[in-house]
Amino acid sequence: MSNSPYDDHGNKDLSLGNAKGMGEIDTTKHSGPTHESAGEPFLIGANMTGGYGKHGPDILHDCTIAVEKGEIAVIVGPNGAGKSTAMKATFGMLNLRKGHVTLDGVDITGLTPQDRVARGMGFVPQNNNIFTSMTVEENLEMGAFLRTDDYRPIIEQVYDLFPILKEKRNQPAGELSGGQRQQVAVGRALMTQPKVLLLDEPTAGVSPIVMDELFDRIIEVARSGISILMVEQNAKQALDIADKGYVLVQGANAHTGTGKSLMADPEVRASFLGG
Amino acid sequence: MDLLNALVALTNFVLIPAMTYGSQLALGALGVTMVYGILRFSNFAHGDTMAFGTMIVILFTWLFQSMGISLGPLPTALLAIPFGIAGTSLLLLGTDRVVYRFYRAQKAKPVIVVMVSLGVMFIYNGLTRFILGTNEQRFADGERFIIRAREFKEMTGLKEGLTFKTTQGLTIVTAIVVVIALFWFLNKTRTGKSMRAFSDNEDLALLSGINPERVVMVTWIIVAGLVTIAGTLYGLDKSYKPFTYFQLLLPIFAAAIVGGLGSPIGAIAGGFVIAFSEVAVTYAWKKVLVYALPESLEPESLVQLLATEYKFAVSFMILVIVLLVRPTGIFKGKSV
Repeated sequence: MSNSPYDDHGNKDLSLGNAKGMGEIDTTKHSGPTHESAGEPFLIGANMTGGYGKHGPDILHDCTIAVEKGEIAVIVGPNGAGKSTAMKATFGMLNLRKGHVTLDGVDITGLTPQDRVARGMGFVPQNNNIFTSMTVEENLEMGAFLRTDDYRPIIEQVYDLFPILKEKRNQPAGELSGGQRQQVAVGRALMTQPKVLLLDEPTAGVSPIVMDELFDRIIEVARSGISILMVEQNAKQALDIADKGYVLVQGANAHTGTGKSLMADPEVRASFLGG
Repeated sequence: MDLLNALVALTNFVLIPAMTYGSQLALGALGVTMVYGILRFSNFAHGDTMAFGTMIVILFTWLFQSMGISLGPLPTALLAIPFGIAGTSLLLLGTDRVVYRFYRAQKAKPVIVVMVSLGVMFIYNGLTRFILGTNEQRFADGERFIIRAREFKEMTGLKEGLTFKTTQGLTIVTAIVVVIALFWFLNKTRTGKSMRAFSDNEDLALLSGINPERVVMVTWIIVAGLVTIAGTLYGLDKSYKPFTYFQLLLPIFAAAIVGGLGSPIGAIAGGFVIAFSEVAVTYAWKKVLVYALPESLEPESLVQLLATEYKFAVSFMILVIVLLVRPTGIFKGKSV
């Protein structure tokens, strides 16, 4: 990216502009058409090949990720394997050169990320996943921005799921602890009442106790019928709760199976789970 | 010693002018801060946008005057302000469509867009001069004073007179109304909150279903409103000359930075800090001091720290001091 004529040329002077919080998603792009595509899993990114930007190198190579309704699918793999990239590809944040993405029987490959949100996908990025300067409640309200109906009951549902957020509702989200921030982030994504929730390393940087707590909540969300696709560093714990697991290596599927079968697979254990 | 007369002189020559000027700067700085916070660049074309907006107000004022429409004691320009805002909105949205949108799509970093706005500034600059010329224009009409010096003296029996111009009263009242409306909008309405969300985190706002192009559009329209109102009030209060408006860029930016770039409260505070310092440093204090001090201490000189020609130096000095001592500004803006 540093070769772009539009970068900052080394100028970091913040009085020239508010570079913090700048987005990376191209907002001027428009969605292409969608069409019916029956007989596939609830959400599937099939045979995806592509990378970031218009001319970026391919990061994914014929990679397939799928999740069924109400199930939890987990993507694990070594650093730089393209785990997050694979998930972002299903969310339309990549230029796919090959492959397609289907949600609930509709091919959505041509849709922009924002239109996928309207179609029922919720995405929690790994970083910068809350509005730090806004209160917890305002964060949730913003999550419900697409809703035209009364979103109060949904906020109450989120508060039931994460009681601590109700307590801190009027506090700026940026002042919360790491685990609480993740709860705000997941809560915000739930406000659209998505059919699929994509979580990019939801437990990064939180303590083991908070991690177990978060996983419990994630299971609870899945039980309510929302499919969950999750990228995780903590492979063991994640595969424990997963209905389906994908092990990626260098942007391609290395192993696929149920969470349990992957845990039992000696090759997977040796290479990714530390024996 | 005559403290009452000292107070009247102080009010007349320092407090009222500084309040008025501060209100004008605050409105201007609010526009700068909105563009900075939401569109993420320091808009060099701000002063000339102000000149353009005021020009449209002036043209409509003249039209109304020629048609015999007036507001009685209030300036006719008030009637023309909505047209000015509409015209400026069209200009800004057109510029955004043709110029800024391209750079937004490239995810151009602020420094690039700042330079772009410099180019836009020159174009606006030429546009205003092409249509209205470079000369000073007068468009104020209606009742000139709320309080006249002579009447005040007769009323109170004091030696010092106090004048309070209609335009000064109008400026202060309008600024208060506009600021309250803007804060209510940003903190209480859905659109306002979505703008704050966009300023905080663009991608997350997008993923929450907030339409960035709409946020950008609303921002430009609000900026058009702020700029046109500020420019018209300044022109009514002082006079209209495109070059003066271009020069206003400096105190306006100083105000926004002193208050804390990106912080609306800061923009207002900064506006008043700059205005009061500018007026206080360039005012000849002799008159006030003669009243306020015992005879033995009366000054012989004018006690004017700087000639009025140097008033821009004051903005610069404050700017430098603030950037050295507290770079985030009074209200912790975003620049560090």
